[in-house]
Amino acid sequence: MTHTTEVLVIGGGSTGTGIARDLAMRGVEVALVEQGNLTHGTTGRMHGLLHSGGRYAVSDQASAEECMEENYVLRDIASHCVEETGGLFVQRPEDSDEYFREKLEGCRECDIPAEELTAEEAREVEPYLAKDVERAIRVPDGAIDPFRLCVANAVSAENHGARIETHAEVIDLLGDEDRVTGVKVRHESVPQSDAERGSSRGDRTDGGPSRREHRKVGSTEELRADYVVNATGAWAGRIGDMAGVDIEVRPSKGVMTVMNCRQVDTVVNRCRPKGDADIVVPHETTAILGTTDVEVDDPEDYPEKQWEVDLMIDTLKELVPILDEARTIRSFWGVRPLYEPPEVGSDDPTDITRDYFLLDHEERDDLDGMTSIVGGKFTTYRMMAEEISDHVCDQLGVSAECRTADVPLPGSEDANVLDEGMDRFGLRSPIARRSANRLGSRTEDVLSSVDPNPVVCDCEAVTRAEVQDAIEQSGTDLNAVRIRTRASMGNCQGGFCCHRMASELHPEYDEPTVHEALDELYQERWKGERHALWGEQLSQAMLNYALHATTMNRDADPAATGSVDYAAFDDGSDAPAGADGERGVATDGGDRGD
Amino acid sequence: MSDAEPPDDEFEPVQVFGDETEMDLRPGSDDCYKCSTCDTNCPVAAVDDDFPGPKFQGPEQWRLKRKEDRDIDDSVMKCSNCMRCDGACPSNVPLSQMHNTARGEYVDEQMDTLSREYLRNRMLSNYRFFASLGSKVPRLANFVAGLGVTSWLGEEVLGISSEREMPEFATRTFREWWEERGGAGVSNPDKRIAYFHGCYSNYNTPEVGKAMVRVFEHFGYEVMVPKQRCSGTPMFANGMLDDARRAAETNVEEFVAAIGDGADVVASCTSCSMSLRQEYPELFDIHGIEDLSAHTYEAVEYLRIHEDLDGALDDADAAFPDLAYHAPCHARNQGLEGQAVEVADRIDGVEATDVGDSCSGISGTYGWKEENYDTSMKIGEEMFEHMEDADAETGMTECPTCAMQMEHGTGYDIRHTLELLEAAIVEE
Repeated sequence: MTHTTEVLVIGGGSTGTGIARDLAMRGVEVALVEQGNLTHGTTGRMHGLLHSGGRYAVSDQASAEECMEENYVLRDIASHCVEETGGLFVQRPEDSDEYFREKLEGCRECDIPAEELTAEEAREVEPYLAKDVERAIRVPDGAIDPFRLCVANAVSAENHGARIETHAEVIDLLGDEDRVTGVKVRHESVPQSDAERGSSRGDRTDGGPSRREHRKVGSTEELRADYVVNATGAWAGRIGDMAGVDIEVRPSKGVMTVMNCRQVDTVVNRCRPKGDADIVVPHETTAILGTTDVEVDDPEDYPEKQWEVDLMIDTLKELVPILDEARTIRSFWGVRPLYEPPEVGSDDPTDITRDYFLLDHEERDDLDGMTSIVGGKFTTYRMMAEEISDHVCDQLGVSAECRTADVPLPGSEDANVLDEGMDRFGLRSPIARRSANRLGSRTEDVLSSVDPNPVVCDCEAVTRAEVQDAIEQSGTDLNAVRIRTRASMGNCQGGFCCHRMASELHPEYDEPTVHEALDELYQERWKGERHALWGEQLSQAMLNYALHATTMNRDADPAATGSVDYAAFDDGSDAPAGADGERGVATDGGDRGD
Repeated sequence: MSDAEPPDDEFEPVQVFGDETEMDLRPGSDDCYKCSTCDTNCPVAAVDDDFPGPKFQGPEQWRLKRKEDRDIDDSVMKCSNCMRCDGACPSNVPLSQMHNTARGEYVDEQMDTLSREYLRNRMLSNYRFFASLGSKVPRLANFVAGLGVTSWLGEEVLGISSEREMPEFATRTFREWWEERGGAGVSNPDKRIAYFHGCYSNYNTPEVGKAMVRVFEHFGYEVMVPKQRCSGTPMFANGMLDDARRAAETNVEEFVAAIGDGADVVASCTSCSMSLRQEYPELFDIHGIEDLSAHTYEAVEYLRIHEDLDGALDDADAAFPDLAYHAPCHARNQGLEGQAVEVADRIDGVEATDVGDSCSGISGTYGWKEENYDTSMKIGEEMFEHMEDADAETGMTECPTCAMQMEHGTGYDIRHTLELLEAAIVEE
């Protein structure tokens, strides 16, 4: 099976989906392949900071200026993914005055609106700041949901004719040593075209990206393209290996710890030079603590250690003391796709630039038909996508202009719809508000599509309508439903809603499919929750375990483990017919002598 | 302190936005692991499918809030503030504090201060103001209140259920009695209590206040009766936190002064003691409020701690009817639900039967509202049945509105535990 396209993008993170959208909007035919879910790699494992650039205002002013520029753009085109929280750089008594002054000046040099606050003013903004903080700088940092942003980019790309294929791992590159002409992927799920034939769903053709039948391993597929873009971030070296070129990505891991609720509503940064555990980002219902910077060999296989989590809390409690007592619901690790030209040779990953690099393999390695994009950061994904799309268009002789900075993403077309008229959906007000925040201009369409519309996830206020909408987009992959809706991302970590989400797949999908989807989601939830097993989250995990074990037999379900000898059961064929004519059914439980 | 200056004491149906610090109770949601025990113990959720229950009202709604979010779901007004969820929670989630604060925000930010509901709630929660007027002319007030046209108007104009009968005002208030009597009958600098009589035993059932004084004087206490205002319970339940704060400022100042004179604070109404003990420090930051909380007791509880009450009752008998006893939810929250029956068991000649652990359903002003009347009676059904089944034709409880509900549902005469103690202990 072969598919032919103009441009093939490898990687379904923010950069990849951003490139796919950009090119598709310019009228280029695009296909994107991603080995897991959208956001599967680094994009789905960040703390959700929309940089103002303040963090780089001293060390890397070029990056700082780009961040500020893109920050404004994203508030505009992705308003339903952005929360304009503002940010603070907070100085503690032991932090240097000199650095504080450099930070403030640096912000001003980079056109980042920065305002100095006294300790009292800072504590008025954030009452849980430590009593002994010295002062702060207020900057326009924000919070952004990387999942919704990525999905919106993919949906937009599809709306412009792109093909987005998730759960499709690149296993080889096509072409020869001089030229890349495409990729060969292995589908971990039935590709969309096959699924259309095989599914009972009647409306599959108009759906969004990454829809799949759960874990049905399909065939391999060759996708031929005039040009290939390697946007795989920390995985770029692997694609390079397949092409026989060296891409010296230096993956660096960082831990992020998710708190149960928001201790702060503003991004709180420690105002000191680079260091571990220096930021708290309010993210939806939670606050995320970050992070560390440790180089790793393999972006998929690295140790996740308890001391890293402890370090987050122990250090950040100096800024926000209530964190010491606060409940943690999970921790996760992300891998930065850091890159520096090999001749720089930094030893410490914190010294490696956050800038991005466009590696044209024709210029660099005499390999035609492919460019890799490495380094960079989430906030500037669109700018990176624009630059590489310009490059690709040059190669293809396409002259269309980039429009991604001006055209809002799906969901952000009309920011004003959020506030008005939520009553008519019959939802409790915090549920209506949260749903509208997530759905943006799609709120009305989605919430009015299902009646009755009960809440499926209580912690995050996600209703059946929103879950069904996500299933429409992503099929049986409940983790894809999760990243679209936040269902199962609250304090019970899915204990009370994973099975409800799975039930929403029925009757369109059969029982074994639903069961597998549930297992996969629950497993993913557990993966992060196991790093938070003390105090209240330990109680939560035990309660979840007890509920699932006692009500669904999920601790050791003999039916699931295959240890039941069904043949040993009497099927009733020898029993005499009962009075009601139903053979073999002893309505009294069999204790009346039959 | 301008405790009882006229402007403060007047009923003034214009919302004055208070300056209380906004409370962030989101961290309280850390303690919730969603087990839903609160929901299964909520008497309102049990009979009203539209009420989302305390788990939603409390930890879920708070966790979903952002600092600038102002909209509280209107279902918070269906919470009766019985506070059973507090006792039910195995994990110490501050549920009633979350409900009270959310209700206060809802009333402040979202309720139309010219609406009938607001005016009605403001009147109900400021019961003391009307009671103080009515008790100036008690016979006239009782006559007017008893007229059919009054209750018709009450329901049509204000939404106060016409099924309910207005409580009668006493012809002489407790405080009038206290003054005529010449104040304390016992002087004892070593054993002092400051009596928080609340509104109801002052204006409506002074016999309870008198019983309280006589019982404590029997044990040699010097009883002080400081100036006081409403404990705030009906104001919390109606989200009128500014009114409640003003009353609390007076109460804290007066009673902290009494504590300074060596007194402990004793209440005869279990909701009053609940309010001073728990809701005050949870909701307000007033100098001395923690001190007041730590020194407040319910009357029978206080005697059982500090006196040999069992010994005093050993040979006691009382000419008192047999009793169907209902423990108020707020007594239950203070761990006091068993004491009245235990006390009655020591007294010869009286049988008291506990009618079970259900809620009476009235929850203060809640059951007075036209829209809650049916819910209130549904919740009360279990208690009514158990009262009918008990071998008694008289009821007993410590909460004035529970008493109203018990009387309303069964027609029984309802007495207070202090009245029983008075009959058993105090020489005529």
